[in-house]
Amino acid sequence: MILFALVYAAPIVTVLYTSLCNYTTFSAPVFQGIKNFVTIFSDQDFIVSIRNTLVWVVLQSTFHVGLGLAMALVLRRKPIGWKFVRTAYMIPNIVPTAATGVMFTLLLNPSFGIVKPFLEAFGIEVGQVPNLFGNSRYAFWTVTATWIFYSGFNTIIFLAEMGAVDKEIYEAARVDGAKPWQLDRYITLPLMKNIFGTCVTLASVAMVSQFDIIYMTTKGGPGNSTLNLPIYLYKAATLENNYGKANAVGVVQISIGLLLVLLVQRIFMEKKEA
Amino acid sequence: MVIRMKKKIVRRILASAMAVAMGLGMAACGNGGNAGGQAEGGTRAESESTEAAESGEKVVLNVINYHVGTDYAAEYYAYLFEEFQKTEEGKNVEFNFEEIPTTDAYNQKIKLLISSGDLPDIVFNGGNNITEMAAKSGKVADLTPYFDADPEWKALFDDTSLEFNTVDGKIYGVPVSKEISYIYYNKELFEQAGLTAPEVAYGSWDEFFEACEQLKAAGITPVGMDSADSGWLTNLWMSALIGTNGQAGNDWMNSMYPMDFNTPEVEAAAEKIAMMFQEYTTSDAVGGKYDPMATHFFNGEVAMFPNGPWMIPDFSEAEKAPEGFYDKVGIMLMPCAGMEMVPTPGDMVGAKDEAKIKAAVAFLKFETTPENQIKALEMTGLQPVSNDLEIPAGLTESDPLMAEVLEIQNHAEMTYGQNQAYWYQNTIDTFSTELPELAYGNITAKEFCEKLTESAAKNQE
Amino acid sequence: MKETSKAVTAAAKTAKYLFMIVFVLVSVGPIAWAFISSFKTYAEINSSALSWPSGFRLDNYEAAFRYAPIAQYFLNSVVIVGCSVLVTVALVAMCSYIISRFDFKLKTVIVLLISASLMLPAQAISQPLFAIFQKLGIFDTKLGMVIVYSAMGIPMSFFVMTSYYKTISMALEESAYIDGATFLQTFWHIILPLAKPGLVTIALLQFINTWNEFYFALMLTSGNRARTVPIALNYYMGTFANNYSALFAAVVMTVLPTIFVFILLQRQVMESLTAGAVKG
Repeated sequence: MILFALVYAAPIVTVLYTSLCNYTTFSAPVFQGIKNFVTIFSDQDFIVSIRNTLVWVVLQSTFHVGLGLAMALVLRRKPIGWKFVRTAYMIPNIVPTAATGVMFTLLLNPSFGIVKPFLEAFGIEVGQVPNLFGNSRYAFWTVTATWIFYSGFNTIIFLAEMGAVDKEIYEAARVDGAKPWQLDRYITLPLMKNIFGTCVTLASVAMVSQFDIIYMTTKGGPGNSTLNLPIYLYKAATLENNYGKANAVGVVQISIGLLLVLLVQRIFMEKKEA
Repeated sequence: MVIRMKKKIVRRILASAMAVAMGLGMAACGNGGNAGGQAEGGTRAESESTEAAESGEKVVLNVINYHVGTDYAAEYYAYLFEEFQKTEEGKNVEFNFEEIPTTDAYNQKIKLLISSGDLPDIVFNGGNNITEMAAKSGKVADLTPYFDADPEWKALFDDTSLEFNTVDGKIYGVPVSKEISYIYYNKELFEQAGLTAPEVAYGSWDEFFEACEQLKAAGITPVGMDSADSGWLTNLWMSALIGTNGQAGNDWMNSMYPMDFNTPEVEAAAEKIAMMFQEYTTSDAVGGKYDPMATHFFNGEVAMFPNGPWMIPDFSEAEKAPEGFYDKVGIMLMPCAGMEMVPTPGDMVGAKDEAKIKAAVAFLKFETTPENQIKALEMTGLQPVSNDLEIPAGLTESDPLMAEVLEIQNHAEMTYGQNQAYWYQNTIDTFSTELPELAYGNITAKEFCEKLTESAAKNQE
Repeated sequence: MKETSKAVTAAAKTAKYLFMIVFVLVSVGPIAWAFISSFKTYAEINSSALSWPSGFRLDNYEAAFRYAPIAQYFLNSVVIVGCSVLVTVALVAMCSYIISRFDFKLKTVIVLLISASLMLPAQAISQPLFAIFQKLGIFDTKLGMVIVYSAMGIPMSFFVMTSYYKTISMALEESAYIDGATFLQTFWHIILPLAKPGLVTIALLQFINTWNEFYFALMLTSGNRARTVPIALNYYMGTFANNYSALFAAVVMTVLPTIFVFILLQRQVMESLTAGAVKG
């Protein structure tokens, strides 16, 4: 057990310690107290990146996971083509992120992408086609859209869980005259609480460390409109060569992640036992 | 009770078993330890090199090559490695390659290798201020003695190029080319707008913008710009605007690691850039990457496009440009006869033992022979680092645009650098992410420059 | 009364199918578009998103193979990701069961530590990893990559499984013990079948997280033996010379077999799980 704890603790301690150091590519770590934390918390960009991270966590834990659940509820009854839909919905998770990034930037290109024809199809006339990645007014939502709808992973988890529900419960309820939606509302959903908590946890953690697709599309820009903690950290480490500062960001990132995990645990898991 | 007991024992056993299992799995994350010998490839190489020392035969050089895949110089470097092994110095050299596509990925790995001390024997330079980092880490060889021992070789390089690769008085990098850029224009579109392009360059930026206005009036988008991935094209316009703005601007644009961006010249240039985004370029320029912008130019949708000679081969490539496009392209310098020209950060030697360093230096010498500089020019458009090379007579016939590039350079009255060569890494990033804000008027030119200044200051913390 | 309820049912049905169709389009659209684009030339792909390619040429597929060892990297990906999924599932299935069932000191600390290591920035640990891997001689090997990916995946999977085991009633095990079953028997015959949905979850999770991993794949390898698909894709994105068509060709070639494997696996795993579901 001790070994186990050590093995996990070592890198965390290293990160914690170096976050308190003056540590760059050119120099070994030298202790300097909380200076790195003072630096990052007085940086407007850092505050924005915390805010963006949190907004993404909230969106992902509600809308994204909810979408996965909704799809699972639909597919649970095995409508025509449900197997196809289940597999199709999983595809975006298999496509390499680098390719997803390229795809979206080309598809949403204001000059030759699908935005203009799409708007015209709905009879919306615009003088200037919105530049979805380039304009800070839309960039945040555009980047969000590259992942928020792709909830196939959650759908499969929910489906697996639903499949494990004892079918006699449904039978009994149906004998008692319950309508289909009542089955979902009073039997399926309450049973999903625990796994929903798991999905929310996974979604939150994924958002706290979301990096690739943002890096591929906007690199945190325009301005700081799509900046989040991992991107901020990457820039501190790779572009400013300031490892101490980067690790300070890492400490904040880990803390936020832990708080979220505990919070979600409290909300979903404890109630279950009560 | 019995069950409880049993459980307890089993729990103990399993708990320790798990600890071991997890420990194994997680050993990866354990504490550091010193960088040991090299990987299998490295060990193989080392044993072979000892052998070499004994029998006087093979020397194995580890090389990480980023000129692979779709890289513009991939073919040239493949040629170079092969040819080197046919020479007297190279016939006993074996290469042990690691390929890393894209300079972005390459630089990430090189930074890791610099701090771990496992640099390859030949360290290609992917920019990113790697020279300074490597030199200060003490993990690359000081090449000054080798230059001093071979005056003929040293004479191939001018002072600026060598200085650019000097850290604390020692030369660490061998520059293999020079980077220049200017404006390509579409003759057909100029004709349509009733414009005659100047022989060398527009005499002033006012004249240049008048031409833009006239192109726009004829329904033609005047210039190509971008902002993603460091904003290469916009950077070239901006550098030109600053570098041709009097002595002060020119000096500023020729200085390494500028800290103060709130000078009148930089602010004025930022204002012009904002105006160009709003008036004279394509709708996808903001947030746009290089490739779609280049395609706009190939398709005749944009009249002027700033870039360097490595773009010339693309003009006649069927995949990219329509047939006959090559003949429609003309070349002019930036207004006021300005031209971007920077020495390139040179390739370094990471080898430690004498025999390997010698072999690595021999390769770098081979890479910079006049013949290979010309070869690079012909195959990739890379400009020779040496000044007075004899250009093969056939070039005017086979590649008239390239010949014109070589000729027009001599008319440049002002030369200056560009941000990728001279600015701090994070400031280039700020430039790229803040450009859209500038373009959409969300921040003023002054605020834009303040952001750059702030960003540069982070390097002094 | 009956009429309206029928109408409501019909409307619900329509809405249901509309919902399905929209999301299938949203999911399949991009990859279908990538498929079409994989036949386009550089000029076509960079100047129009909606046009058809001028012809169904296979040049880009040929280019995809020419520029990068895509087939080998794909096989590496399959082996590395496959093994890491197996290792993770096997380890986590046992370990988290123990953690969830038995109390001991420091348990909270361990769980917290594991959660924290979920979010450790990769840059912070790449340096020590690099050194250790070289020492152990597993640098640039598939084994090394399996170890690092399993280690990466264990925390999250562990977390999921622990909370999953908590939902399985203790009563079943107690009665198994009373019947004289050993711990392992109980675990194998009683717990694992019940835990299947949880195991599917962590297997999927592990797959998704490692299939696209780029950073460690770059840092901890030096040759073609252990490199994976994400690295191969970089071959199509050179300076001033992106080849998106070849990129898309490569993506199509690597995604299609993966989908196929998925369908096969789903038949195996999911069917047994959803067999119990009733028609609403």
